[in-house]
Amino acid sequence: MTAAGEHNLPGRAASGDVDAFARLVREHSALVYRVALRILGTEDAQDASQEVWIRVWRSIGNFRGESAFSTWLYKITVNTCLSARRKEQGMRMREFDGEFPQLPIQPGGEDDPEAAILDGERRDELVRALERVRAEHRAALVLRHMEGLSYAEVASILDVPDGTAKGWVSRGRAALLVALAEGAEIERNLDGEAS
Amino acid sequence: MIGSERWDVLERIGAYAAGELVGEEARETERLILENPEARRLAASYARMMALLGAIGQESPEPPETIANRAIRRAYVSAFFRQTESLFTDVGRAYVEAFVYYLGLRGDGEGRVQRAY
Repeated sequence: MTAAGEHNLPGRAASGDVDAFARLVREHSALVYRVALRILGTEDAQDASQEVWIRVWRSIGNFRGESAFSTWLYKITVNTCLSARRKEQGMRMREFDGEFPQLPIQPGGEDDPEAAILDGERRDELVRALERVRAEHRAALVLRHMEGLSYAEVASILDVPDGTAKGWVSRGRAALLVALAEGAEIERNLDGEAS
Repeated sequence: MIGSERWDVLERIGAYAAGELVGEEARETERLILENPEARRLAASYARMMALLGAIGQESPEPPETIANRAIRRAYVSAFFRQTESLFTDVGRAYVEAFVYYLGLRGDGEGRVQRAY
């Protein structure tokens, strides 16, 4: 295959070339699944990923190549995940009373944060806490701090102005910390009752 | 501080922990963190959370094979139906054109019908 052919997979897929579409799916399946998993959780990520590829196949003719294919794909993935969560409320906080939230220091975690971070229990805590963040804010947070995208990219994917994207990330960050701290507090209380 | 002001501080220290504040706003937040133990603990908590998010962000969960397989299978089936539909449309159009030609009903471009007989 020529270099031009390699680079024009979306164009070929748009003209009905299923082999080109299959290559796009294989190359980008991890991105779609990863984002769906982080926004929706394990239970719904697989169905959402299927839905994303159905939408991509249906609408690939609309991809004009004005942005990278991955940006367009992020947009479809996030929209699919958000439409799955449209009725969900999540935390709508703009006020905060009481003490600021605190995350407990994990035993041995300060010296080797990476090692302490990646244990399954803490990952599950974060996933549970993320589910309590309002869907749009969660999507913005995932794109910015887990996918490592710039605010301009986050804004383009979410189809909002840069300032709104920044605000959503900021509120999502604060709401996630509150949810994480509340989860940790509940766990401390349960441990206290058990001992 | 009232609730909304505390929320603003919560967001501002989060932005500082994420390295997104610059200039006077960053200096003010640093001062607050240095002077206020509660703000200091909050900044430390944010730093832990950001490290957690970053570390999980580095992971690349493997998507189940079935996702790609099903998507590709559906595309093949859909492409087959598209081609079949297109073939039948083309054949149907050709038959209609042939029939129109046979009956001599084709217009001459000026609204008159040319009849072959």
